[in-house]
Amino acid sequence: MEKSRTYHRKKIVIVFFLCTALFLGLAVRTGWLMIFCSEHYSGLAQDLHQRERSIKARRGRILDVNGAVLADNRTVCTISVIHSQVKDPERVIAVLQEELGLSEETVRKRVEKVSSIERVKSNVPKETGDAIRAYGLDGVKVDEDYKRYYPYGKLASKVLGFTGADNQGILALESSYEEYLQGTPGTILETTDARGLQISEMGEERIEPIAGQDLVISMDVNIQQYAEQLAEQVQKAKEAQSVSILVMRPGNGEILAMVDTPEYDLNDPFTLPEEVPEKEKQDALNRMWRNACINDTYEPGSAFKIVTAAAALEEGVVTEEDTFSCPGFIMVDDRRIRCAKVGGHGTETFVQGTMNSCNPVFITVGLRLGVENYYRYFEQFGLKKKTGVDLPGEAGTIMHKMEDMGNVELATVSFGQSFQITPIQLAATAASLINGGIRITPHFGVGTKNGEDGTVSPFPLKAGERILSERTSERLRAILFEVVENGGGKNGRVEGYRVGGKTATSETLPRGTGKYISAFLGFAPAEDPKVLALCIIRHPTGVYYGGQIAAPVIRQLFENILPYLDIEKTGTADQPENGAERE
Amino acid sequence: MAGVRNRFRKKEEHYFDYSLLFIILFLVVFGLIMIYSASAYDAADQMDNEAYYLIHQGGAAAIGIVAMIVVSWIPYHFWEKFATLAYLVSIVLILLVLTPLGYEANGARRWLKIGISVQPAEIAKLGMILFLAALICKIGRGIKTAKAFFLIMGSAGVVCLLVWQVTDNLSSAIIIGGIAFLMLFVASPDYKKFVLIVGAGLAAAAGVVYLISQSSMTEDTDFRSARIMAWLDPEAYASGKGFQVLQGLYAIGSGGLFGKGLGNSMQKLGFLPEQQNDMIFSIICEELGLFGAIAVIMIFILLIWRFMVIANNAPDLFGALIVVGVMGHIAIQVILNIAVVTNTIPNTGISLPFISYGGTSVLFLLIEMGLVMSVARGIRLKDA
Repeated sequence: MEKSRTYHRKKIVIVFFLCTALFLGLAVRTGWLMIFCSEHYSGLAQDLHQRERSIKARRGRILDVNGAVLADNRTVCTISVIHSQVKDPERVIAVLQEELGLSEETVRKRVEKVSSIERVKSNVPKETGDAIRAYGLDGVKVDEDYKRYYPYGKLASKVLGFTGADNQGILALESSYEEYLQGTPGTILETTDARGLQISEMGEERIEPIAGQDLVISMDVNIQQYAEQLAEQVQKAKEAQSVSILVMRPGNGEILAMVDTPEYDLNDPFTLPEEVPEKEKQDALNRMWRNACINDTYEPGSAFKIVTAAAALEEGVVTEEDTFSCPGFIMVDDRRIRCAKVGGHGTETFVQGTMNSCNPVFITVGLRLGVENYYRYFEQFGLKKKTGVDLPGEAGTIMHKMEDMGNVELATVSFGQSFQITPIQLAATAASLINGGIRITPHFGVGTKNGEDGTVSPFPLKAGERILSERTSERLRAILFEVVENGGGKNGRVEGYRVGGKTATSETLPRGTGKYISAFLGFAPAEDPKVLALCIIRHPTGVYYGGQIAAPVIRQLFENILPYLDIEKTGTADQPENGAERE
Repeated sequence: MAGVRNRFRKKEEHYFDYSLLFIILFLVVFGLIMIYSASAYDAADQMDNEAYYLIHQGGAAAIGIVAMIVVSWIPYHFWEKFATLAYLVSIVLILLVLTPLGYEANGARRWLKIGISVQPAEIAKLGMILFLAALICKIGRGIKTAKAFFLIMGSAGVVCLLVWQVTDNLSSAIIIGGIAFLMLFVASPDYKKFVLIVGAGLAAAAGVVYLISQSSMTEDTDFRSARIMAWLDPEAYASGKGFQVLQGLYAIGSGGLFGKGLGNSMQKLGFLPEQQNDMIFSIICEELGLFGAIAVIMIFILLIWRFMVIANNAPDLFGALIVVGVMGHIAIQVILNIAVVTNTIPNTGISLPFISYGGTSVLFLLIEMGLVMSVARGIRLKDA
């Protein structure tokens, strides 16, 4: 037996210190991980352990100018089952089957499916959800959710739009004011084990959602309802393809009503009025949702004479008393352009020419302006640009290029043909010309309403540019008053009010099909316009003159809404033209 | 030394290392607590008994403590004549894994079912310590010769190769090789060749790692290269080879200075594989924090310090070599385990002595402790 020697001891000590050094090295390494990498790894670990469930924010409502709720939220429930937590599957199946009115087979399939969470039914009314919750069944989860609800159904459908599956705005105001309406979703952070089971004793972290802001719009439900009623009536009576009515405040561009029949049910926006093949369904839906006031252009026809008159008066190429002679046609270069009245209007002043809606008068005036001047005014009045209305998908103007415009093109443009604008563009431009000459931006959005104290934070109003002198605007109003009072627009007269306006009747392209668009644009009071309305009837049958079918619609509208808007009666033409003092 | 002859007769003069006993008992009990903490959630779910792992480990530990006490009473020279037998039995047991007696668990065939299930590799470690201690004593002064060197490393190499190839357990093969190397280092007066071997080994390892780090992981990358790539950047292979280590790092990083408190680990809830086994150190870090982790490392330093004291005072070379072998066994295993868990070296399955779950492991470790205590008893107080 050998005795251990000195060098053995020395080496054992070496081994010990070597091992100790390595141990301490690892202790340092562990410390480095636990102190300097702690944030990194514990953050990653937390991401791993926490499951994020988002809580939908309540979407802001849309309110009319008087606070009537146009778009609201309904609480609905989503019923789900968590397979691993279900203790009594048969009872769960029985209860869900009865409460939800589903077949046993459907419920059984959901309950018996091995998954972390299985949705049985969504959009369940709150009462049903509460009833199911009251059973206290293990593994059955009732989550509350919001669903958009439109109390007025199809009212202003093309203005309001609707929301998609995730409550996001899809069309119209719901889409353009998304950032205000949507709010900020909250989150529930649950701690789970590796299989996704929630660890109940750890509780959950909640980040509360922030509800969306209520949007206040300038629309007045009463006016909208009445306008819609009138539009439907005239559409039915004239068997027209569609009818649009726009009511706005010429002073600031606030839109009080915008109708484009046929409207659709906002609470059921995916159902078409008639069956169509699946392939064409999306196109048919898009057509149904389309707002012709904004998304479509048309030839404005004689209503555009307002613009020609404004430009000519402003440029000084015509005065009210200038006389013209209408033989029923006019020759422009080598082209013969007819007047609406085949026999001709004979000798007439400019005012009378406007009252008669005489094409030769306006062609003459247009030619006096010349292409360059006319084009300059066209641009100055804002007709080349979009109006900037706060609805998505506004169509642009379709106009000749200046270099392509000859006298013939100028002549046709002068009385509203051979180019296209949207109805909102016509209304906005007319409003700007008669309001004293300031270009307005048509809009619905007024501001957002604070849910707690009901105060409204208004959206900033864009300052409009001057596009016409105040004096010319005043002269234009006087001429347009004469049109209604004594001229072609007399069906637009309203007892006790001074109304200005212009009729329009245009044959749609291609010509010769016998299809017309009839329109009337009116405003009141003539001297200090508080409200402007445009009615467009597309493809009416029978009588198609704007002065005969569209003007009465605006008359009826004004008869109701002028008193409603507290606009004082200012009498008729018996009173002096400038009798009404401007406020 | 004149007193050697009558060292067993004068009992009252004999030494008993109470510090060693206390450290061992502390480690065993601490291990049981940590196993229970780490495994209860999984055990409740999978075994329907949250104390499943605790009971099994507790049973093995109880048998082990009895065995340790018994072995500590038996003079360690009693085992000298069985040294060659132990070596041969180790080899036979390893080979038995290939027979129907062997069985597979966790994708590796490492266990034998003979009444209870045992891991032959764990027995081989003890066998190797006894065999080499006896062999080196027999060689005596001839230890300096190349022949002795190759005889010792060769006989250890056979077992290493068998453990590696037959039971597909590279980690145990490395440990057995390491034990043999350390025992030979202590027994031999030479330094140069050991330094050279270690230097060459480190250089070779660095070279291999460099080569692998230059390639990228593809479908046909073999699994050891893949492990090395995952080691270099575990987050890039988070769902594959890097998964276990990264989950361990999550646990370690979550611990902070004082930990989440005993029982509050999140990573043990099914996220971290082998949480009561090879990765238990990361649960200790998560629950007990840096203080807990350093305390565990300090306990192991105390343990090997006791081994050093006993080895240096052992009555003879055989006793000293046994203690050196045990010291090497525990030190290598602790170092490799913590190094793996902290992603200091590439992942390889090594358990943490006394703490990780594993019945054979704790049983044979405690028997080794019994041997060390038996050597300690041989120390005469006068010499100590």
